[in-house]
Formats: sequence, structure tokens, C-alpha cells
Amino acid sequence: MILETKQLSKSFGLRKAVDGLNLEVPTGSVYGFLGPNGSGKSTTIRMMTALISPDEGEVIIQGNSVQKLGNKALLDIGALIERADFHKHLSGKTNLEMLARMDGTDMSRVQYVLDRTGLGNRGKDKVKTYSQGMKQRLGIAQALLSNPKLLILDEPTNGLDPQGMKEVRDLVRELSSEGITIFISSHLLDEVQKICSHAAMISFGQLITSGKIEDLLEDSDLLLTEVQVDQLDKAMELLSGQEWVHRCDIVEGVLRVGIDREKTSDLVQLLVQNNIQVSAVIPRTSLEDLYLSKLGTKSKI
Amino acid sequence: MLRLIYNELLVITGRWRSYIGFIGISILMPLILWGFSQGGEELHQDYVRELGGTFMVVGSILNSFLATYIIMNTLWIHIPFLVTLAAGDSVAADGANGIFRITLTRSVSRIKILISKLFATYIYTASLLIFCAFWSLGIGSILLGTGDLIVIDNGILILDESQAWVRMAFSFSLAILVMCMVGTLCFMFSAMVNNAVGPIIGTMFLIIIGYMIIGIPLDIFEKIEPYIFVKYFNVWWDAFKDPIPWGEIGKKLGVLGVYSAVCFGIATFVFLKKDIKI
Repeated sequence: MILETKQLSKSFGLRKAVDGLNLEVPTGSVYGFLGPNGSGKSTTIRMMTALISPDEGEVIIQGNSVQKLGNKALLDIGALIERADFHKHLSGKTNLEMLARMDGTDMSRVQYVLDRTGLGNRGKDKVKTYSQGMKQRLGIAQALLSNPKLLILDEPTNGLDPQGMKEVRDLVRELSSEGITIFISSHLLDEVQKICSHAAMISFGQLITSGKIEDLLEDSDLLLTEVQVDQLDKAMELLSGQEWVHRCDIVEGVLRVGIDREKTSDLVQLLVQNNIQVSAVIPRTSLEDLYLSKLGTKSKI
Repeated sequence: MLRLIYNELLVITGRWRSYIGFIGISILMPLILWGFSQGGEELHQDYVRELGGTFMVVGSILNSFLATYIIMNTLWIHIPFLVTLAAGDSVAADGANGIFRITLTRSVSRIKILISKLFATYIYTASLLIFCAFWSLGIGSILLGTGDLIVIDNGILILDESQAWVRMAFSFSLAILVMCMVGTLCFMFSAMVNNAVGPIIGTMFLIIIGYMIIGIPLDIFEKIEPYIFVKYFNVWWDAFKDPIPWGEIGKKLGVLGVYSAVCFGIATFVFLKKDIKI
């Protein structure tokens, strides 16, 4: 494991932001960290990066305790925590040079990371002239500066347009293929499912589930089934009235139905009995459904 | 460490606010010195009266040294304010602007970052006073010329030109140390909050209150006077005494040094424990 948290806890006043959180991030994985707003994701990430001290527990990176070694434990990590903020009155390149100077990083990396994040031509411009997307890319550039083995990204696509989001996604894939472990928090579950090999979900500071995404989806009780029928509206109306149907949508001419696994045959039977022709039934489970089912359950607790 | 200090100096020199002090001094000094050159005769007569006919004065006693000496007496509220403009920003601005989310996640200890910021503040402070000295003595030499420095305090001290240069340099060196203490105080406040205005106001408040306590002749205030740091600000004045009271200078610098150490100690404690939430 390149990154572990052990019984990590943090309170702000009476509010417990993180509560006994245990995470294990395998080396080489792309690890999605999911949870609703206020669930403790950012606090956890800030404890991982020594920005916040935990009340209890510890963060271990490459076998070194962040709480015992302090910032020395962060030698091989790069991090972008939420919004990327820099000295606005200085250029992007100067900001990166300052960061490189801090930990003795080779200055040649500065232009390399600028080029890699698509800012090669704008490096000499002051940061105050950058768009939010460019600042975010500069944030990723600084995270890559010290050639990290572990990259921690907290909502890296915030403020980016669809093209920018795709670029970040592609960059994450590229970096992952180079052997860099990536720990990424995001609200965009579709994005996470596309790029992550592992995921953890938290709510109210507690771990709900974690593991390989394919295993999580496999183990899920909730099945999202795509059904191709001849009468979409009639089928929709029929299914929407059933108690055992958790959700029902029409997406690109296909009915997407959220049901428990054992209800698949009931679904087909009901449609056929109502003279709706079923041409295909394709079971699919998305991370979004898993997320909603898990966190919905937790919320009730 | 030198790399970190260089970084901090880049930040300070990149902020327009850092130049307010230099611009202010650039405008103020020539104006004051021009005023001296215009009203010099009146000042000359005052000094001659003080000398009480004991001395026969040939030429004018008003020169760049005397003007600088008088100016130094009048700037003890203004210079601290100019120092706090950089010191107040030092830590607080990085917190408020979210820079710590970037810098404190790197493999550099917080204490090193804090020390580098303090040293950069000291360098800024020293630059400001050196600039003040060069501007005052430089422009003064052009407008008023040089010559012997006559200091009237408890007695009369006449320093020849070569001695006057040495004493001025010594005095400004002491003034730099005093202002570094002011910088450390402001730095401490800066480490506690996330906006630069609070530290500036806090520091100036303490300095003004300190001067008020020293200025009011009440027993209660006289008892606490030894603990008021502004009481020791006048150490630069000791450079113009004869013989130079080294013991007194050492004591005053020692007290200011202790105050600085305590302020930095508190700043360190606060900064190391600080949760970066912004």
C-alpha cells in the first residue's frame, strides 16, 4: 500500500468531520474518493497532506507516518487541494520555480510540467491573467513538479469546461499508465468510474464501502437494467408505479430501471403481461447507483 | 534556507504594497530636507541660543547630519507602520489567498517556511531603513551639505564629520534592530490570523498604547514601564552619546531581543499547530 489511513479522526468543535477512517490505497491504483458535500473528504485529504492535524489516528505514506515525520513524509507526493491558488502578481512559471526551489526540484521540470499541462506558451504570463481552468491546470502542474509517486487530487476538475475535464481525465490516465498512484476525490461519479480502478465512499466522516470498482459493482444488491421495449412511455408509466422499482428513466431511447437483483424476472414478466414487447434486457450497474444506494442507506442511519 | 528566503523576497518585491514605504520616504524626505534648507536660519538661531554663548559658531550648524538626526526623532510612529505593511502580509496573506494549500503540502517543514518569512521581513525592514538613511543623508548632503554634528541632549556633544558618519551608521543599525522587533511583533499577529490588516492594526495599537503609557506620568504606569517594549526603542539615540553607553545599548537590545524571541516563539507555536482550512 502506498497510502493508508488508520483510525483517522478529526472534529471541529462538536462536529465530527472524520470518524475512525481506515483506507488502503494500493500502489499503482487510481483511487476514487467519493462522498457528498460535508462528508469529510477534504478534511481527510488535508490530513493526508499535513495541512490539518488529526485528533486521532495517522496517515501512512510509503510506510512513513505523516503525523510523526511531518512534511518529510510528503517527499514523493504531489497534491492539488481544491482550488489552485498561486501568487497572482507573479507568472505561472515563477510560481512553479519558487515551488521547485523549495524542495530542490530540478528546474528543468518547470517547463516540462507546463508543457505537459498545456501551459507551455502561457508560463510567463501573470497568474492573474489566467482563466480558472488554466489555474487548475497550473495546480496540476505544481503537483507533478517533484515527479511524484503518489498524486493526491481533490476535485481537480472543478471549474473546468468539458474539454478541460476530458484533458484532466486523459492526463490522469496517462500518469496512471506511467505507474503513478492517483488518489482523486470527485463529485463526478461518471468521471470516477471511467478512470478509477478502486473507490471508497464516505459519509458523515465514516467509511461506507471501499475496494476495486468492479468488485464493488459486482457485490452490489442494486442492479441498473437497460431494457429495450417497443412502447417506452407505457413501460415507463407502468414501472414507475411499482414499489420495487427504485428508479426509472428513459435514456437515449432505452429504459433504465433501478431494481434489486432478484427482481429482473419480475420486470420482464410484468412488461410482457402488459403487451409490451421486450427486445433486450442488459444488466448494468453504475457507480452512481451504487453511490446513491449506499449513501441513501447511510443517510437513513 | 537561502532558497526559501529568496522565494519570500520575490513575493515581497512583487507586491506593490511593499513599495509604499519607499515611495513615502522618497517623497517625504526631500520635502522635509527642503523645509530645513528654507527654515535653516531659524533652527540655527535656536541651536545657538541653546549653546548659550559658550561657543563661537562659525558658519551654519544645520547640515545633513543634524537634519537626519532630527528627522529620526520624528519618524517613530511612521516607520513602524511602513514595516508592518510587509510584515503583516508575510504569513496572513498566504493563508488568506490559499497559497498554503500549495506550499505546505511540499516536503519542506513549516518551521523552515516560517523562519524564511521572518528573515525576508527583516531584510525588507533593513532595506527600508537603509533607504531612509541614504535618502536622508544623500539628499541632505546635496541640499544642506555636511559638517560637524552638534547633539544637544543632557549636554552638548560635537562630533566631527568623520565621527558623524560613523555614529549615523551605528544609529541606523540600531534603528534596524528596533524595527526588526516591530516586524517580529507584527509577524506574530500575522501567523495568528488570515488577513493582513489585523496584524498591522494590532501592532500599531500596541506601539501607540506603549508610547501613551510612557508619556503619562502616573505611578501605576511608571511601574509597568520597564515591561513596555517601546521604552527601549530609543536605543538608536545612544549612538550619539559620548562615551557610547555600550552596557545600556546591550541591555536595551537584550530586552528587545527577548521580546522578539517570545513573539517568534508564539508565532511558531501557532503556525505549527495551525490547521489550513482555507
